[in-house]
Amino acid sequence: MIDIGREKRLDKYDLAHATVREILTEMKDISEIMVDLAYASIMFDSEEIAEEVKNLEEDMEELSKNIRIKAMLAARTHKEAAKLSSLLEVASASRRISNAAGDIVKIMEVDVAKRPFLGFILREAEEKIKRLSLAEGSDMVGRLIGELGVESETGMRIIAIKRGKRWIYDPEEDTKLKAGDVLIVRGTEDGYEVLRSYANGEERWPVYPEEEED
Amino acid sequence: MDRLDEMLLELKDTSELMIDLAYSSLLYNNKEIAEEVVLMEEMLDELANDIQRRAIVRAMDDRDEGKAFAIIKLAVAVEEISDAAMQIATVTIQEDEPHPVIRLSIKDADTTITRAEIKPGSDLVGKSLGKMRLASQSGMWVVAVKRERKYLYGPDKNVVLQVGDVVIARGPPEAEQYFQDICDGKERLEEP
Repeated sequence: MIDIGREKRLDKYDLAHATVREILTEMKDISEIMVDLAYASIMFDSEEIAEEVKNLEEDMEELSKNIRIKAMLAARTHKEAAKLSSLLEVASASRRISNAAGDIVKIMEVDVAKRPFLGFILREAEEKIKRLSLAEGSDMVGRLIGELGVESETGMRIIAIKRGKRWIYDPEEDTKLKAGDVLIVRGTEDGYEVLRSYANGEERWPVYPEEEED
Repeated sequence: MDRLDEMLLELKDTSELMIDLAYSSLLYNNKEIAEEVVLMEEMLDELANDIQRRAIVRAMDDRDEGKAFAIIKLAVAVEEISDAAMQIATVTIQEDEPHPVIRLSIKDADTTITRAEIKPGSDLVGKSLGKMRLASQSGMWVVAVKRERKYLYGPDKNVVLQVGDVVIARGPPEAEQYFQDICDGKERLEEP
């Protein structure tokens, strides 16, 4: 299984040269995407998404270790050490969220017939996890996620893309959308309806005057 | 809807709200919001216990231990998320001023927190959050509204905004400016 999302994440920067700030940001991002992916794995009964959650949990361990080492090296005074220790509390909370996401995917081990209530809960939640596919005629096709500004335009965050047999988890701004992509998204019901109308080609993606000037 | 399902739903939605509020408390060094997260955690503790007890009672009745097991596992995991939120909020409560890097990290993240005051002339004045479809139009999800001295946490879609309300919202950094402009009245929202 080729797994673009994960490779990209690990290649993003060399952990040894990363700053405390970069690692903390990364930990926050990963912990949040993990929770979304964990619920998505149950929602769509996907072992592959569950597997990605487990992989991310390992990445978090690595980040967690690194941020502690860097924080220790950075402290020169007692006061600095105290401040950094509270920063490490926040990092440890991110790790805790990631562990919780790891525990959520373990529910996959329970027979699917025994967890019908889960789909129901996820459908009723304030922010829902949904799936939609990109039609040939959609003008989202061939454009980058960042260029479209999918989340700011619709309030829907793309948490994963299934392209043929491959998965792209937590796609980046420079991920180009292709016809036939299946998008796993999180957000409100009406945001989903809006995004779906663009994705199936019913509506044109909005163009603003500023964009035309560029 | 089954009572147990309703309780799980509340547990899930509240745990996510708590994470957003906990980061908001850090970003704005706001101890009041942090204290609210602590209160919510206590409430969720009880809720999670209650869910587990009910799941066991039901399993004794319908002999479906697999289903009860899944419910208990989920309740425990989601409760853990709320514990993590409290851990973050505790940093806000205990520190005079959180480490500046924490704020920078929250601002750098894929999902950030922002705050804006509703000005006269904003399209949001006198309209409910649901009616203006603020989340889908602006990309920002409202986690709290401060009206005069009182906070409203996790407002539902029926909440009507007023001039002077301070809105705290979560979303992608690129949506921040547009959201600010809507609250300012510089940008218009499409009428549904």
